[in-house]
Amino acid sequence: MKRMLVALPVLAGLLLAACGGTSTATSTPATGGSTAPTPPAASLTGAGATFPQPFYDAARFAYNQKFSQVTVNYQGVGSGAGIQQLTKKVVDFGASDVPLKDSEAAAMGGRPAVVQIASTLGTESIAYNLQGVADGQLKLTPDTIAGIFLHHITKWSDPALKADNPSVTLPDQDIRVVHRSDGSGTTYIFTDYLSTVSSEWASKVGKGKSVSWPTGDGASGNGGVASRITQTPGAIGYVELAYVLQTHMTQAMLKNSDGNFVLPSAAGATAAASQYLGTSPTNFSIVDAPGKDSAPISGYSWLMVYTNQQDKTKGTALVDFLYWIVTDGQQYAVNLHYAHLPSNMVTNDIAALKTVTYGGSALLSVSS
Amino acid sequence: MGKGTAERVAPAPLVGIGRQRRLISGDDVFHAIAFAAAALILLVAAVFVIALVIPALPAITRFGLGFLVSRSWDPVQSQFGALAAIYGTVVTSAIGLLIAFPIGLAAALFLAEESGVRLLRGPLSFAIELLAGIPSVVIGLWAFFILTPIMRDTVDPFLNHTLGFLPLFQGSPSGYGYLTAGLVLAIMVLPIMIALSRDVIRAVPRALREASLALGATNAETIWSVILPYARVGITGAVLLSLGRALGETIAVTMVIGNRNEISSSLFASGYTLPSVIANEFTEAVGNVYLGSLFYLGVILVLITIVVNVLARLLVWRFTGSEPTAA
Repeated sequence: MKRMLVALPVLAGLLLAACGGTSTATSTPATGGSTAPTPPAASLTGAGATFPQPFYDAARFAYNQKFSQVTVNYQGVGSGAGIQQLTKKVVDFGASDVPLKDSEAAAMGGRPAVVQIASTLGTESIAYNLQGVADGQLKLTPDTIAGIFLHHITKWSDPALKADNPSVTLPDQDIRVVHRSDGSGTTYIFTDYLSTVSSEWASKVGKGKSVSWPTGDGASGNGGVASRITQTPGAIGYVELAYVLQTHMTQAMLKNSDGNFVLPSAAGATAAASQYLGTSPTNFSIVDAPGKDSAPISGYSWLMVYTNQQDKTKGTALVDFLYWIVTDGQQYAVNLHYAHLPSNMVTNDIAALKTVTYGGSALLSVSS
Repeated sequence: MGKGTAERVAPAPLVGIGRQRRLISGDDVFHAIAFAAAALILLVAAVFVIALVIPALPAITRFGLGFLVSRSWDPVQSQFGALAAIYGTVVTSAIGLLIAFPIGLAAALFLAEESGVRLLRGPLSFAIELLAGIPSVVIGLWAFFILTPIMRDTVDPFLNHTLGFLPLFQGSPSGYGYLTAGLVLAIMVLPIMIALSRDVIRAVPRALREASLALGATNAETIWSVILPYARVGITGAVLLSLGRALGETIAVTMVIGNRNEISSSLFASGYTLPSVIANEFTEAVGNVYLGSLFYLGVILVLITIVVNVLARLLVWRFTGSEPTAA
C-alpha cells in the first residue's frame, strides 16, 4: 500500500533528477551558495525510520546520479531497529523520527559520541470520513482534538464541534477514532502535540511512539490508518500530510497557537519550525508553534552518525552525502510533500557535521 | 491426505547397493544423514525456546505471573500485561471453531460417506485444497475491504436486532472486532477441519458401518450412533489442530481485529490478540522491558500452541494410527 502510494512522486522526483541536471546545480540551497563537495568512492548503508524513507530513497538515487562513485543503501526498518543497528555499528548512519534518548545515547558511548542532524520536516493532518463534509470544511481546535482522542467527545453532533462549525451539518454519528497500531514517529509527534495542548492528556496518557490509547482502533502504518479512515464512516485519525494528499482524503482545518485555522501544508511545517531557533537533538519539539501560518502538528526527522569515524574515505563520503541531504538534496523532500528545512536548521546541521572527525581532524570541508 | 502409510515406506537407495556395500553400506550413510537431520531439528527447537525465553527475562522478572492477569499495556509508563491479548486470542479462536466445527463436520461426512452426490465430491475436494492454499494475507485483504463493510452494514445490525438482548451483540458495530476476526479464522481453519475429519471418518471400519445398515438403521442413524461415536476422538483431534492454527494466525486477524488493548463483552467491539500485538509493535519496541514483554507474549503463545498441538496429535494418532497431514 505504502509503496504504491509513494511510487508516483518518487518517480516524478527521479525524472526530475534525470533530466534536470543543470537546474539542480543552479538551485540555491537554503544557506549561502555553497556547492556540495565531491565525495571519494564509497558504499554507505543506513537504516531506520520509515516516515522519511521515500525522501531518502529519492535523495540517494539522485546523489548516485550526481556522484556515481558513491552508492547509498537505506533500509526502512523502523527507528528503534535503526538505532540498534547503529549501536552495533552494522550501518554507517541511523535514522529516527525522534532523537536519541539518554539511555540510547549512552549505549553508543554518550551524547558527544554521536552527531544528530535534522534531515527533513513533516506535518500531520487530521483526516476524517464524514458524508457531506468536504475537504477542509471541518474545523478542529486543540480542545476538540484532545476531547475526541480522550473519548470525551464521542459523537459528531457534540455541541463543542457544532460551536466551531456553525455552517456544517454534523451527523448524529459515533466518532470512530483510528490510530497507529505500530510504534511510530508519527504517533510520537501527534501525542507530543496532545500533551502540549491538553494537560489531561499529558497526565493520563503522555507522549511516545506507542501509547495506551483511551479510545479507538489501531491500524498499521500511515497507509493502514488512511485505509481504515477511508473504509469507515465516521472515522477520524492522524495521518502524514503526504498520505492525505496522495489518497485525496478529506482533512480538517486546524486551529494553531495564534488562533488561525490552517490547512496543514509543507510550507506550514517550515513556518512552524522556523519559530524555534534553539532546536537541537535534546530540544526538538516544534508542535503547537506560534506564528500565523504554522501547521500545529509538525516535527523533524533525524539522521545520526558517530562523531569519530573509523574509516577516513567512508567517513568523508558520509559527511559529504549528509551535507548534500540538508542543502541541495532538500528539493527531493519538497517534491514528496515533506517540508524544506528552515535556514536556521540547515546552519545547525552543517555546524554539527563539521564536528565529525577521523583521527582528530574534521572530515567535512566546505567553504561557508 | 491419508497417505501416512505410504510415506513410511523406506526410500529406495540412491545408488546401486551391490557396488556400494563393499565400502560403506548405503544404508549406513542414509542413516547417518537422517540422524543428523533429525538431531538438527531438535537442536533448532531447543535453541529457539532458549532464544525466546532469554529476551523475555526482563519482563518475566519484572511482572512475573501478574503479567497474565494485567490489562494494562502502556509503553509510556512501561506497564505491560497480557490479559486483553489472551482474552482476544481465546475469544476469536472460539468463535472461529464454533462456526467451523458444524460446517466442517457436515462437509467431512458428505465427503467421506459412500452416499451423497458423487458429482459434487471432486469440485468440493478441490475447493478445500484451494481454500487451504490461500495465503492468510490475501484472506486478510479480502476481509478488510469486502467483509468488514458487510459485517458493519448487514450482519452485525441483524444480530444486534435479533439477539441484542444478549451482551454479546450489543453496542454499535464498526465492522471490525472479535466477531469479524472469528469469522475470518473460521474460513481459515475450515480446510484443516474438513480434511482431518474426513480422514478419521474414512478410517471407521467398513464392517461397523455395514453392520449398522444391515440391522436396519438409516444412513442418518448410522452416522449419528455408530460413525460419530467411533470417530469422536479423532474429530476432537481435528478440532484441536484447527485451534492450534487459529491461535497463531496473525496477519489476517491483525487486519480486522481493531488492535485495541481492551476487554469487552460485546463481540462487535475491537480487541487484540497475542500474535497481533507482537506483529504490530516489535519494530519500535525500544527498551528491555518493552521488547521483553513482546517476547513474554511469544512465550505464552508458544506454550498454548504446543499444549494444544501435542494434545491434538496424540488424539489423532491414537485413532487413525498414522500421522495426520495438516492441510
